[in-house]
Amino acid sequence: MIQAAHVSKWYGPVRALHEVSFEVPKGQIVGLLGPNGAGKTTTIRITTGFFPPTSGSVSVCGHDTVAASLEARSCIGYLPDAVPLYTEMAVEGYLDYRARLYGLSRGERKRAIARVVERCTLGDVLRRRTGQLSKGYRQRVGLAAAMLHDPAVLILDEPVSGLDPTQILEVRRLIRELAHDKTVLLSSHILSEVEATCDRVIIIAGGTVRADGTPEALLESLAADAPYVAEVRAGEGGGERLAAVLRAVSGVAGVETTPVAGEPAWTRCVVTPHATAPDLREAIATALHRAGGGDGGLMVRELRRERPTLEQFFLRVTGPGAGARAPGPRGEGGAA
Amino acid sequence: MSRVWAIAKREYASFFRTPLGWVVIALFLLLAGSVFAWGVLRPGEAATLRPFFNIWWGLLMVVAPAISMRLFSEDLRTGTIEPLLTAPVTEAAVVAGKYAGSVMFLASMLVPSLVYAVVLGMLTEIDPGPIAAGYLGILLLGMLYLAVGLLASALTSSQTLAFLATLVGFMLLEVITRTATVLPERVADIVFALSPNLRMADFARGIIDTAHIGFFLAGSFLFLAVTAVVLQSRRWR
Repeated sequence: MIQAAHVSKWYGPVRALHEVSFEVPKGQIVGLLGPNGAGKTTTIRITTGFFPPTSGSVSVCGHDTVAASLEARSCIGYLPDAVPLYTEMAVEGYLDYRARLYGLSRGERKRAIARVVERCTLGDVLRRRTGQLSKGYRQRVGLAAAMLHDPAVLILDEPVSGLDPTQILEVRRLIRELAHDKTVLLSSHILSEVEATCDRVIIIAGGTVRADGTPEALLESLAADAPYVAEVRAGEGGGERLAAVLRAVSGVAGVETTPVAGEPAWTRCVVTPHATAPDLREAIATALHRAGGGDGGLMVRELRRERPTLEQFFLRVTGPGAGARAPGPRGEGGAA
Repeated sequence: MSRVWAIAKREYASFFRTPLGWVVIALFLLLAGSVFAWGVLRPGEAATLRPFFNIWWGLLMVVAPAISMRLFSEDLRTGTIEPLLTAPVTEAAVVAGKYAGSVMFLASMLVPSLVYAVVLGMLTEIDPGPIAAGYLGILLLGMLYLAVGLLASALTSSQTLAFLATLVGFMLLEVITRTATVLPERVADIVFALSPNLRMADFARGIIDTAHIGFFLAGSFLFLAVTAVVLQSRRWR
């Protein structure tokens, strides 16, 4: 439904996007994730046809957003960042105006407004001016306006920013519902939001795509060298001995030991595996058991593998040292 | 076309939803009423609205920029330009819609002033021809001024700046026209030909000259076209 190919954008001498390519298939909810200033809004504005890319192309529903801009815009419902509304207009009047802009006839407008008002639960505020509405209602009015012409593609720029937790849940539920028959591209800098709502995540930073895949696939790529954590009783000053035992385990890349605060007899070990190593929990447990021998010197009270979070992944791929598209399983899950 | 109408209607209605529209109307009627009371409605004066129309271009110089200043500047400032220009509407349609809305507002502002003609008609015999010509002239002049103001409004997100730029532009043109006699004759002729206010003076005298009508319409169209190009230009930047 959305295809972006080698999109670059320069604002004068400043490069905002560089060779960004991605695809969003029908029915998928894709999250555009990135720190502030990463190029999310630029990507979205190019996709909605607000301005063209400096080079490359974007097509929506098969229409190029520059060459066939009007056709492309007709099949997009767009909620811009910060939801700009005409504050002097009443909600109903605003929705009617938006429906007219999309060329809906009188009958269609009536039905469309009734549909979106019900879906976004705006019935109570129809006669209120949009300038008097709370942030949550404004967001819903913006969303309703974006859905009036029943577009195949919904593009939402920061749809939950500034909302309280209840409102976030509401908007999230709404987006999920919509996704049954629509393609959704949303941007966010909130990781948990993207994780909760999206089928797929595209991470953008510094104007380039750093990773693209399902949240699970992205985490899996990180899971390969996720560390193991163990707490072992090795007696005071037993850290050295423990480290030597663990280093000897095949597949271990590094060991760090620190005494547990307040319990000097206990040592906390963080074991980093080689990226290619299989699950090492059993091997670690066995090594510790053997090293303990019969004298009962070593006792394990915890052994687990750190579960990587999308947050860690995000920090890793967007951090200053991260190269473009380095660690992510690009394209995987793209057609999921 | 229905989209142009939708935009025009919204613009027109929004003048009445904000204090600005009412302030502009009140100011205009106050000034126009004063001119009528002291300039027209005097014993021994000729029964025409000519002094009235002769002053109006000056009123329009201030009132037109006040009407046009928010047309695009507000959209640029609040960000409503984004949903507008990502709807399936061409830049030309957006410009046409906003312009039509502002011209409709100007026309509605003129309507109450017709009461002066009625009052004059009750007191004495009047010739409706020159009055109709005067109103036509005012409307055409206002249309040109609004087109200029619309362009200024598309260039800045500051309403104040749009207002001042338009007003100063009009005043500069007027100053040049008034001092043009010191210029070489050929240059002066061009200046006089380009002065909307001199053409307005003919309308005030009751002369409907198609060349004048053509001038105002072509001038308005020119500024509207440039405005559309300005809107499109964000596509090249």
